[in-house]
Amino acid sequence: MNVGFIGLGLMGRPMALHLEKAGHTLHLWARRPESLAPFASVNAKTYATPALVAANADVVITMVADAPDVEKVCLGADGLAAGGKPGLIVVDMSTINPNAARSIGLRLGEKGIAFVDAPVSGGEMGAINAALTIMVGGTQEAFDKVKPLFEKMGKSVTLIGGSGAGQVAKACNQILTGVGVMAVAEAFNFATQSGVDAAKVREALLGGFAYSKVLENHGQRMLDRNFKPGFKAWMHQKDLRIVMEEAHRMGLMLPSAAATAQVFNAIVGSGMGEDDSITALQLLEKISSRQE
Amino acid sequence: MNIGFIGFGTMGQPMTEHLLKAGHSLRVWSRRAASADFATALGAVRCESVQDVAVGSEIVCTNVTGSADVDGLATELRSGLAPGAIHLDFSTIAPSAARAIAARHRECGVDFVDAPVSGGGTGARNATLAIMWGGREELGTRLAPIFSVLGKSAVRIGEAGAGQVAKACNQMILVNLIEACAEAAVLANAAGVDFGLVREAMLGGSAGSRALDVFGGRMASRDFAAGVEARLHHKDYALLMDEAARIGAPLPIAAAVWQQLNALIAQGLGTQDTSSLLRVLEVATGRAAD
Repeated sequence: MNVGFIGLGLMGRPMALHLEKAGHTLHLWARRPESLAPFASVNAKTYATPALVAANADVVITMVADAPDVEKVCLGADGLAAGGKPGLIVVDMSTINPNAARSIGLRLGEKGIAFVDAPVSGGEMGAINAALTIMVGGTQEAFDKVKPLFEKMGKSVTLIGGSGAGQVAKACNQILTGVGVMAVAEAFNFATQSGVDAAKVREALLGGFAYSKVLENHGQRMLDRNFKPGFKAWMHQKDLRIVMEEAHRMGLMLPSAAATAQVFNAIVGSGMGEDDSITALQLLEKISSRQE
Repeated sequence: MNIGFIGFGTMGQPMTEHLLKAGHSLRVWSRRAASADFATALGAVRCESVQDVAVGSEIVCTNVTGSADVDGLATELRSGLAPGAIHLDFSTIAPSAARAIAARHRECGVDFVDAPVSGGGTGARNATLAIMWGGREELGTRLAPIFSVLGKSAVRIGEAGAGQVAKACNQMILVNLIEACAEAAVLANAAGVDFGLVREAMLGGSAGSRALDVFGGRMASRDFAAGVEARLHHKDYALLMDEAARIGAPLPIAAAVWQQLNALIAQGLGTQDTSSLLRVLEVATGRAAD
């Protein structure tokens, strides 16, 4: 298949390379030309604009930072809509506001271009190991066509519902992981301040109803004091901001996510945004200890 | 002074009347012509367009709802304002939106002053508003004749956008306190104690506040219909929490109050007074709706 790929960062690069290895031809455009260097020796063609990528591809995947970037690549001057033929499928794997995804989908739809939102969970390691969890919103027809591509990048691929539904699932994922990281950090800080070994607490709890992936993986990294990303705290802050914007728009009460988002604001505001999101533990420790 | 005025809502109408009664010449425009009839009756000149208001005005005042409304008017005003003119905006909008408008105005030699107010419809009618403004310091003498007929205080906070930061702080303290009053009312009521008397006792002490006086009073008399529409405070919280996320400021109490406001909207109480935060808590505690 002719696959366009835009957004060749930490996540996008390994994802695109998996597709090439599976025999697909890559069609690439990058805002920064140096991002194209890793593709010099593989089956990939590069273009001057997203429109030219769209003109030469059956499917175009985008993996960029936020909604304005997706909108610009899709609908800006020389964007995908300017070059894509009716029948083209645009798959956005970035994490953006669900409502923004629906709006972009509608506007691409007017040009006969199908839009699928397919945000991922699993981080850079998941991308490198082709082990991502992919949450998809779009029509069954478009999903069936791009599913073979998803299967080369992830190990769990689920069609959640119509346009925007993938982003809703991702927002739910970020509520659970954000609040989950806070819960584990609070429990560990509580144990340590009570004079109890947090590692023993974790070990005991893993067998019970408090078991979670976050307790197991993030919890272990907290015990190891390994705050290298992983998943950067500023990205989690961005994702929680999307969650809270949507809650405001719909009139939804999300008290735990709101409190968690404020901790992530503090992390970013105190210059710890480049740490992994488990740095929340360090913030709790700092706030609840005697200051010099 | 030749002044333009656009935006004749609950706040804008009495403010316009004060300016006219103080002897200023006003040029006015409104989307629905009838909204400006009160002003022309008092001697204001009706204009055919926003641009027409700008032409010949030394200062144009706007008082509308959201960032997008102010931005739209600002674009039209730029085509008519002479270099040296001032666009004085009384609306409550995002600080970043105010700064962006100021930068575009500056390219045309026009000053933007953000001057959001606190005091509500009553403060506007009685000319007792608290005005917090951002803009170049030397503009103060030109703005004073306007501020002095509208409010009892006008404080320059800093450069353009700073007034909106002050307003965000104002809204956060006010609505956080309204929520605190609602929680006190729930506690008093659940303990079988009359919140009206609790409020009365507290007003003279350290917990006394305008919020306890005005909004606590509405809670005590269960008069949720009048006052400030909660949906406006809800809108203010979106601005403020977005700004907090943008600059990495933790606001844990405001975030919790924001969620109570979200629930208030979901319960269909957005056009009721913000003292309805009490009813949100009552739903959560299973108290029968009134």
